[in-house]
Amino acid sequence: MKSLLQRALVYVLALSVLGLSSPVVVEAQIIGTLAAVEAQQRDKDLATVNGALAREEVRQKMTEMGVDAQQLDARIAAMTDSELRSLATDIESMPAGGDALAVIGIVFLVLLILEAVGVIDIFKKFP
Amino acid sequence: MTPDDPPMLYRFIPFLFLALAGCVSHGPALNAIDRSLPERVELTETPFFPQEDYQCGPAALATVLRASGVDTTSEALVPEVYLPGRQGSLQTELIASTRTHGRLPYLLAPGIEDIAAELAAGRPVLVLQNLLLRSLPQWHYAVVVGYDRDEEQVILRSGTTQRLVMSTRKFQKTWALADRWALLPLQPGDAPARPDLDRYMAAAAGLEATGRVDAATASYTRAQSLWPQAALPWLGLANLAYARGDFPVAENAYVAAIERDPTNAAARNNLAETLARRGCVNDAKREIVRALEFAQGTSLEKDVMATATRLQGLRDEGTCPAS
Repeated sequence: MKSLLQRALVYVLALSVLGLSSPVVVEAQIIGTLAAVEAQQRDKDLATVNGALAREEVRQKMTEMGVDAQQLDARIAAMTDSELRSLATDIESMPAGGDALAVIGIVFLVLLILEAVGVIDIFKKFP
Repeated sequence: MTPDDPPMLYRFIPFLFLALAGCVSHGPALNAIDRSLPERVELTETPFFPQEDYQCGPAALATVLRASGVDTTSEALVPEVYLPGRQGSLQTELIASTRTHGRLPYLLAPGIEDIAAELAAGRPVLVLQNLLLRSLPQWHYAVVVGYDRDEEQVILRSGTTQRLVMSTRKFQKTWALADRWALLPLQPGDAPARPDLDRYMAAAAGLEATGRVDAATASYTRAQSLWPQAALPWLGLANLAYARGDFPVAENAYVAAIERDPTNAAARNNLAETLARRGCVNDAKREIVRALEFAQGTSLEKDVMATATRLQGLRDEGTCPAS
């Protein structure tokens, strides 16, 4: 004779099996225009990093780089997934346009070194 | 060789510089560009924002955004584009901020002729320059506001200089070292002087992807009239219609996109979704098979596979209205 417990167990198992085999409702998702444009423009360079992951990484790096928490969301929201991915990997090295005046300093430094090692001799008029 | 002569090695230094300067061509002189462009242009009305320390990014961006009709200033843009940890601004952030202000961030083709054409159309152009060396870069943003063919000169708003006159040669060199990056903020619906479909659609799709629906709609509509035979503007408008739930409009626009480019896997995938949504499962399955065929080996393959798998689980209920 089967106990009530055994019968209940059979029911639960049957329900769970049915639940598994029933069609899983997946939200229909169309392909975005940008994904289509990018697919045409570069056939290689396939995205390896997940967009949401990249977003989180950029958020963290930009915080470390001193971006105000209040501005962070708006700045990141205006970027596309592929832009976030390239920032996530290259934010430390990609061009950051800054000060033109610093050039003068670097050129001066290079001249000073060349002078010190005797390659050039342009500062001789100064004591 | 007298003792006063410098060592042999140093005699070669001038030649080394000549080799560096002379062997590399950085692009044509202004004299060589399209004759139909004016002799000289200078957009004297372009605003000027003298930059604070390291902040040529906000200053240059404010200059071109103001010229395109956005009411902003250099200081207002600092919190949007300045990255303290890099003591500068990234190109990506200038593009993103252009979107935030409702402008289409069009990246010009890498030629001085394209800049000249924009100036002739009355639009200043933001450029990235590398003022030093490829191995030791000094990145700087400036705004080109004019050129003079006779003098071989380019006129810039740069740093703290309101009117910096630079030889074409030096400009070409510093610009080439920054991969000839040039940003033109356009009012949505406006077209650049020398429109390029891929560049225009990439910029417009970026607006759509970041939720600037009105600006994207205006840009796709303009692209449609600029390139009547192109599929992508139709795809863009179809996706916008789908996103707002206007499925009949979306379906027609997907069909129009596929008529223009039968190999467009994204349009076929999205048409399949739209068909399935109104009960035409068999039509949808037919469509997704074609989509799979054209998506193979592209970055869309995974997405199309996902749609195909989902459609596989659906059964045709015979609810598709006869066409």
